[in-house]
Amino acid sequence: MIFWTSLLIVHGLLAVALLGAITHQAVALWWPARVQSASFVARFRAVPGISYVWAIIVLYVVTFIMGAWIYTQYRYTSRLALEQLRFFKTVGAFEIKEHVATIGLILLPAYWAFWRRPLSADYADARKQITLFLAILVWANFLIGHIVNNARGFGS
Amino acid sequence: MMATSKATILAVTFTVSCAVLYAVCTELNLPLVTYHPVIGEIDFLWKPERRGPAMYWYGWMLTSLIGATIIASMATLIPENWLQRIITFAAAAAVAYLIVYSLALFVYEKATVELEWLKWRWLSAAVAFVLAAVVSLLMPIAWNERVWPGWTWAVPAGALAVLGYYLVPYFTR
Repeated sequence: MIFWTSLLIVHGLLAVALLGAITHQAVALWWPARVQSASFVARFRAVPGISYVWAIIVLYVVTFIMGAWIYTQYRYTSRLALEQLRFFKTVGAFEIKEHVATIGLILLPAYWAFWRRPLSADYADARKQITLFLAILVWANFLIGHIVNNARGFGS
Repeated sequence: MMATSKATILAVTFTVSCAVLYAVCTELNLPLVTYHPVIGEIDFLWKPERRGPAMYWYGWMLTSLIGATIIASMATLIPENWLQRIITFAAAAAVAYLIVYSLALFVYEKATVELEWLKWRWLSAAVAFVLAAVVSLLMPIAWNERVWPGWTWAVPAGALAVLGYYLVPYFTR
């Protein structure tokens, strides 16, 4: 049990790092800082999005692999308990998480292609769209993960 | 405006086709492998559960991964304007089928006489096919010159909507 709990915590920490990176990139892309300012928000918006690309891809893949590994344990322990307790909404939420995670993974090749150096002006809109979509998926999965974990998570 | 590079075509087509194939594999239950987590064994293709639940998710991903890799590789061999036409046609057909079949079921529910044929899926599919062909033919030539990058979010978003729809029973029990 300690092993799986440790894995879940590492998975969660990686997800936090991914969430930070993709949010940073999406905000810098959709709401770029026009003037230099020392404020936290302006600095948050002023980061060069391209420097986050490989970090996001690697973090996504590693977080996904860890999640897929933990899923095996969830499937025959937590999920069975949730079904017996008739927590169908929680089980359904996890099913959504499973699909959202896969669709996010599927996006990565296109995400990489649009962010390839040198950045093509032809894909400026595509970069914004796919980054925002990926950010929405990562946020959705992060929140769903929390909800599911609250139902049958650490120490249960 | 330059033609899209082969690497971008490969990546875009992979993303688009993999999202569609994943939705299809999930709904039709077409896993390449079945994993049995309790006993730690893997079976080829779909197999029923043995001593504990069976997991098909890994299998659905593998099926769609292989299918999308083949489709994406083939996509690099055809002219870009044809690829754009094919994706437009497929997307239009999917949306048209959704609308036509929903309308057919709505009319079937409201009709005062028995109209069994409205429930025939192949009929809705045929109508959707014709509508998609018309839409593809009427599309301005300029729109078909290059692959639209927006497919990479529009198609996965559509696939996710379909996958989400099939999970509704979890939230209405």
